[in-house]
Amino acid sequence: MKQRALYSLLILLLFSCLLAWLQPSTPAVSQASRWQKISPQGQRLTPWQGPWACVWDKQNKRLWEVKTDNENIHDGYWSYSWWQQTEAGLERGAANLGDCYFESTRCDSQDLVRRANQQRLCNVAGWRLPQIEELQSLLQSNDRAQQAKMAVDYFPHIKAGDYWSADHSQALAGAYQHLGQGALAINFYSGDITPLPYRNAAFVLLVSDQAPAGVEMTQ
Amino acid sequence: MTRKSRNVFLIIHLVAIFAATAALLTGLRIASLSHTYLHWLSPVLPQGNMHKWHLLATTCFMVCVLAYFIFRLYQAKVTHSKAMRQPLAGFKKYHLWVNRFGYITVLGLICSGPLLWLQMWPVTMAQIHYYAALSLLLYLLLHSYVYVLQYGRLLIQRLLTPLVQPHSQRATAMALLLLAITSTGLYQLVTANNSQELKLLALTNTTPVHIDGQANEDFWQHAPSITIHTSGGANFIDGSTNVTIKAAANANESYFLFRWFDPTQSLQHLPLVKTPQGWKVQQNGFYHFDETEFYEDKFAVLLSKQCGHGGDNTTHLGLQPFADKPANWHGKGYHASLDGKVRDLWHWKAVRTDHKRQADDNHFGPLLQMRSGERRYTAGYHADGKESGGYVMNWQWYSPSTVTPKRLPNPDYLTQPHHAAFLPWFDSQPYQPELDHFPLGTQLPSVLYRSNQFEGDRGHVAAKGQWQQGYWTLEIARKHNTGSAHDVELANGTCLWVSAFDSSQTAHTRHQRAVQLHYPEQRDAAGAVEFAMATTPSKEWQ
Repeated sequence: MKQRALYSLLILLLFSCLLAWLQPSTPAVSQASRWQKISPQGQRLTPWQGPWACVWDKQNKRLWEVKTDNENIHDGYWSYSWWQQTEAGLERGAANLGDCYFESTRCDSQDLVRRANQQRLCNVAGWRLPQIEELQSLLQSNDRAQQAKMAVDYFPHIKAGDYWSADHSQALAGAYQHLGQGALAINFYSGDITPLPYRNAAFVLLVSDQAPAGVEMTQ
Repeated sequence: MTRKSRNVFLIIHLVAIFAATAALLTGLRIASLSHTYLHWLSPVLPQGNMHKWHLLATTCFMVCVLAYFIFRLYQAKVTHSKAMRQPLAGFKKYHLWVNRFGYITVLGLICSGPLLWLQMWPVTMAQIHYYAALSLLLYLLLHSYVYVLQYGRLLIQRLLTPLVQPHSQRATAMALLLLAITSTGLYQLVTANNSQELKLLALTNTTPVHIDGQANEDFWQHAPSITIHTSGGANFIDGSTNVTIKAAANANESYFLFRWFDPTQSLQHLPLVKTPQGWKVQQNGFYHFDETEFYEDKFAVLLSKQCGHGGDNTTHLGLQPFADKPANWHGKGYHASLDGKVRDLWHWKAVRTDHKRQADDNHFGPLLQMRSGERRYTAGYHADGKESGGYVMNWQWYSPSTVTPKRLPNPDYLTQPHHAAFLPWFDSQPYQPELDHFPLGTQLPSVLYRSNQFEGDRGHVAAKGQWQQGYWTLEIARKHNTGSAHDVELANGTCLWVSAFDSSQTAHTRHQRAVQLHYPEQRDAAGAVEFAMATTPSKEWQ
């Protein structure tokens, strides 16, 4: 009987050790993601760190602007008409027909491109309107009700509206046919791509091909 | 004891061991929601839909107790009384007294459990049930451990061998079957009665209803009421509060009136305070999503077409109840609806939604996909979709150290005698360091109201609360059928559960038996409601 008592105490001791070893720890961050948060100064952040101003797409090697709700130039509510002035001085589109607070006149897509490059958002230049294929590459499934079909944990403040692409000179159809040409836009909620007149107010999500220092080499 | 009697005893004993162990483990998991010091046991406690399994185990245990009682009565008749009076010594005497302790413990459990379920003396019964369960744990130790010390491996042989002898196998199987059938029958009986009826008062479409939390419409005096004891919350006295519910309906909408005791009106929601280091969020648990100090009062209503146990099987307890999904931060568990049916959830928040005169329209649905960029995984707890509106938090990025506000109040803020618990968008301006002249110690609301209410699916529930003399009164209105796939239709038989939050983020009160809505209407061809108005004012609301 003494032997049994000794064994049982030993088992109890082992059980207590096991219980202590199995005590729950706090949830851990997962690093396995296509997306990399980048701080406004261009530093890499872990998935649960913030604030972040850009997202690096590890798969396609592109840097994306992140929209905000703090009324700076990247606020997700600002809208822009499509307008472009090439280096040769060629103008295309309709200037200053969108709504934002950061320009004395109204806004167009070139205003945001210019401001983001002046600001050197995430410590890079080369900010531009994305091609429609680049915007399409952001689409992914989302099981949350009425949210954009994209990684909204990395791309918050995406609105249920159209986002301009750089693809211009697109023939307009239907009610817009009389306006001739426009640019392609994508709706991240539906995934639909539509040619819109340049004068329309739509949202803009900028992209850059430049990687912040220290990002590219780690991929 | 004859061989046959011994086998009957052994079968009852064996089933009781399994049932009591299952009931204890599931019960301790449920108790760990309120008794957080039990979390150290978490690694050995089961996870998931514990309420259903606890009820199943306890009904089985009660059947064993009943069977043992009948067995002892039968044995008393056939046993010589002289033998019973023989003096006991040593371990036999020890076990006699341990078993007497066990009988009292089991009596406490099988009385307090059903009375708790029936909501009779709930506070007392909850305490008796909990301490009786801990006593059962002690009894199992005193009883079985000492037998193990006495007999060692021989004990298993003595308990099991007689049951698997060739001549006993049929009788063993029959006895097990009988216990299983009786237990299942009792479980089904309990399940079928897992609700209490609430009759809705009929209103004509022309009866005016103001959703203002005042309850001063005449018809509320005539509406039948039901009072539900809810327990297990944070900050309430004993963690519990009674919720009185009334309901009325016209042809298009249902109206609900909830009233519950909460001695403190909590309107501080994670306020920002200016410190020498910068703005800081006042919190004491928010970082782990279990704030119980700097948080607003809230109230939640769960709706389902069925009245199943554990909020119609939407409660999944434990640190990680879903093996392929992330663990939760507070170790309590998740809500999710795993049978493909949506459960509706109205979440009224005293600061974030009350002044919008809305409750946040949410739902329990299937498990959400994990997102690597989000610290908090919410399993099956979804917000309905919105077009726009509502509220946002007044920080650009939450950090437990310091934060940068999104907006600062207009300069005359400090000269105003009273401050709302939220900051209206248009009484504030975007944060700029050069505008931040607020003195150290200044407190700001962390809730920023957008200019409009929730628009879209998330804005289907109108709600307004008033706190007066220690009671919250909350009026809610919603269309019977919103047409949304994320809402549950309000109709005859719809089941409802309520939870109150006293200055807490996730620690809410709860109750087991649902409230089942009874619409005694007979619709005419035009769809108008035709049923008699109650004429006697209900006394419960006085």
